[in-house]
Amino acid sequence: MLSILKLKGNKMSNKLLEIKNLSIEFNSSEGVVKAVDNISFSIDQGQTVGLVGESGSGKSVTALALMRLIPNPPGRITSGEILFEGRDILKISENEMRKIRGNDISMIFQEPMTSLNPVFRVGEQIVEVLMLHQKLAYKQAWAKAIDLLDQVGIPNPSQKILSYPHEMSGGQKQRVMIAMAIACEPKLLIADEPTTALDVTIQKQVLELMFKLQEKYKMGMLFITHDLGVVADIADDMVVMYRSKIVEQNHKNEIFKNPQHPYSKGLLACRPSLAGNPKKLLTVSDFMTETGAEKKVDKHLLKIHQKDYTFSEKENPILLEVENLKTYFPIKGGVMGRVVNHVKAVDGVSFTLRKGKTLGLVGESGCGKTTLGRTILRLIEPTEGVIKYAGQDVTKMNQNELRQLRSKIQIIFQDPYSSLNPRMTIGEALLEPMIIHNVGRDKKDRMDRAKWLLNRVGLNANQLNRYPHEFSGGQRQRISIARALTLNPEFIICDESVSALDVSVQAQVLNLLLELQEEYNLTYIFISHDLGVVSFISDQVGVMNDGKIVEFNNADNVYRNPQNDYTKTLLSAIPKGLPAIQL
Amino acid sequence: MIESVLRTSRIIMDKIIEENPISDSLYKSAFIRMVKDPSTMLALTVVMIYTVTAILSALGMVATDWNLEVGTSYAAPSLEHWLGTDIFGRSVLTKVIHGTQVAMSVGFFTCLIAIPIGVLLGAIAGYFGGIVDDFVVWFYNTLSSIPSIMLIISISLIMGRGLLAVYVALGATSWVNLCRLIRAEVMKHKNREYVQAAHALGAGNARRLFRHILPNIFHIVIINTSLQFQTAIKSEVILSFLGIGVQGQPSWGTMIDDAKLELARGVWWQLFAATVAMFIIVLAFNILGDALRDALDPKIKGK
Repeated sequence: MLSILKLKGNKMSNKLLEIKNLSIEFNSSEGVVKAVDNISFSIDQGQTVGLVGESGSGKSVTALALMRLIPNPPGRITSGEILFEGRDILKISENEMRKIRGNDISMIFQEPMTSLNPVFRVGEQIVEVLMLHQKLAYKQAWAKAIDLLDQVGIPNPSQKILSYPHEMSGGQKQRVMIAMAIACEPKLLIADEPTTALDVTIQKQVLELMFKLQEKYKMGMLFITHDLGVVADIADDMVVMYRSKIVEQNHKNEIFKNPQHPYSKGLLACRPSLAGNPKKLLTVSDFMTETGAEKKVDKHLLKIHQKDYTFSEKENPILLEVENLKTYFPIKGGVMGRVVNHVKAVDGVSFTLRKGKTLGLVGESGCGKTTLGRTILRLIEPTEGVIKYAGQDVTKMNQNELRQLRSKIQIIFQDPYSSLNPRMTIGEALLEPMIIHNVGRDKKDRMDRAKWLLNRVGLNANQLNRYPHEFSGGQRQRISIARALTLNPEFIICDESVSALDVSVQAQVLNLLLELQEEYNLTYIFISHDLGVVSFISDQVGVMNDGKIVEFNNADNVYRNPQNDYTKTLLSAIPKGLPAIQL
Repeated sequence: MIESVLRTSRIIMDKIIEENPISDSLYKSAFIRMVKDPSTMLALTVVMIYTVTAILSALGMVATDWNLEVGTSYAAPSLEHWLGTDIFGRSVLTKVIHGTQVAMSVGFFTCLIAIPIGVLLGAIAGYFGGIVDDFVVWFYNTLSSIPSIMLIISISLIMGRGLLAVYVALGATSWVNLCRLIRAEVMKHKNREYVQAAHALGAGNARRLFRHILPNIFHIVIINTSLQFQTAIKSEVILSFLGIGVQGQPSWGTMIDDAKLELARGVWWQLFAATVAMFIIVLAFNILGDALRDALDPKIKGK
């Protein structure tokens, strides 16, 4: 009912912002790139529009254009109008624009860590905005800043206003950013992935806050995100961008229930859900061809796959046993650098993992899941405890035995941008492990294997002479997987290996990992903060908090029947609005 | 805000890369960038001319007869003697050319001594940390706390005055800066994921340091070399001017030293020739250094 009213309201036209046929181009030495191609949409007063798309689809460029912040050169708005309250802001002078920016239209960015100036107290930064735009005197501005911090839910605001950014947590910093953005009671708030860098529990709080403030100030909001779950919770209308164009726009319920464009369908289907998933995740390429034509999808591909938790002693012997593992980092203090205390990153963790199975480790940032993974590999030395790999104690191995072990255990890191050496070609990166471990008869033999591996992970084998920067994020993650496979490992630790990827690419990489597991009977530890991804790929799930595993069970039990309070909190923080996809 | 702009431009670069898959390694694209810039090419040409002159002079093919009396004492520049003559009637032009040999050899050998020391000590200190790092830091802090002019004087006192002492003295004192830079960069890179990935693949310390980390920071060495080179040239001039540098052969420093008495008599050409020769090469190296930094340093590559 409410949505019908809203749709009617649209026609009445209470338009706050209207974008008409906007096109933006970027010049580079390699040619002209159309970043935004002839898009049109509008935002009403008090309405939230979710702008969804993958990286490179042009959504951030659109946001910057609304603030007239496109760097020029190389960027250029080639055509179109941006009407803000009926006035084309592309035509007004820079002086007038400066009055609008931060006052009528304000923006929240993704990275709260870098958006605040580290050398000023947060209070001074809010006051600066107030004095600039509202012409308040310092004292009044200070009082208002305290009030704003109170509104965004910062405890004890009159004290906290004196803190420096580094004295606040990520969530608090994002709250301060929101306080700055709403300081002048803007009519339009642009939020560019404001919760992407935050943990789920914090994300939930920040989203609730933004929703509340929007109601209060009747702001229009453009909410840019790649996370459909977030859009489902917060937006009214939804705009889907793909390759610089808008492919679909409608009320969110319409899009979720009955997506029209194949790309929207693919985007909805490729996201692993907590409610159960097909055996293989569908990807955008299942729904449309390279040229954008629609493909027919078989219904049976969507059938929910029941996980098989049985194992046989013969096929799935215990591969990894971790007993009471502790990794402490010393905190040094005093003049002589005495150890005054310890950070207990991993604090008494025990579990067993069988061959051919996947253990998912979930937890929020700082819970010790990454340290645990690296300690098992002894990239970080454990403080105490036993790590038995195939019956051998890893903690007691000498350098030589460790080197042997490293051919059997591999790790795939989070950021495909930094885990490949930028000065080594892909070929060199793939050959290196074979050279270190003296695998293969000669160079040709090794090259053949490298080519075969590239093919196996879905890349072209004649790209061996290229450098990492010539590949996209998803391609690089495939290269990392190929590198991990060079030595025929038995066991791979995936440390947030899909977190930096777009959802559709993420689905492809997850499918690849599952395929490889089936083919080579690989054992995985899958570390992630994303509960959906972990539920899709894991057999066993361990929930970590404060360096301890607080809940350990098979995947379905953890999600359907959580025992521990922390697990319950985590699960309840996940955006719930997203309905299951139907075809 | 800046962050967001940068992120957007990175995404766009990614897109360009995907659409235009052929691109080159860092050094090749840096070279192409530099070739496109006329002032850089001019600087590079100047450096090449000086280098060729210095080599020809060292091989005895030009300016061997700098000691020859070719005209009257203090003859002004003329068609016969383009840059005039000095007190003994020797050609100033020939002396400047010979001075080029001295200057370029000082630059070259200083770098040859200083850069390996700086890179090696910096890399080891940054990579291993702990006591090794403490020792290296202590060592260069101690060394740089001694005024370098005092150090150079004492080295030349021990080794005897002459070119060799200048090489050693400048080489032994000028690695500290590079060492600091390399140490900091190695520290930053050793915890990067690609180094950890190499560790996880079983690569040992030497492989991680020399095969993975050093190629990633080598551009710093290249940039530093071009700046070190011209600093060494200037230092040689100062040392020779002070009389503790080159002996028994002309250098720009000794020529400037001579000129301080000549100026009063209106003889300006020896000073002019030496300073202009030095000015041009120092300027060329500075331009080259900036161009190298622009082309190689990934931090400002997005400009």
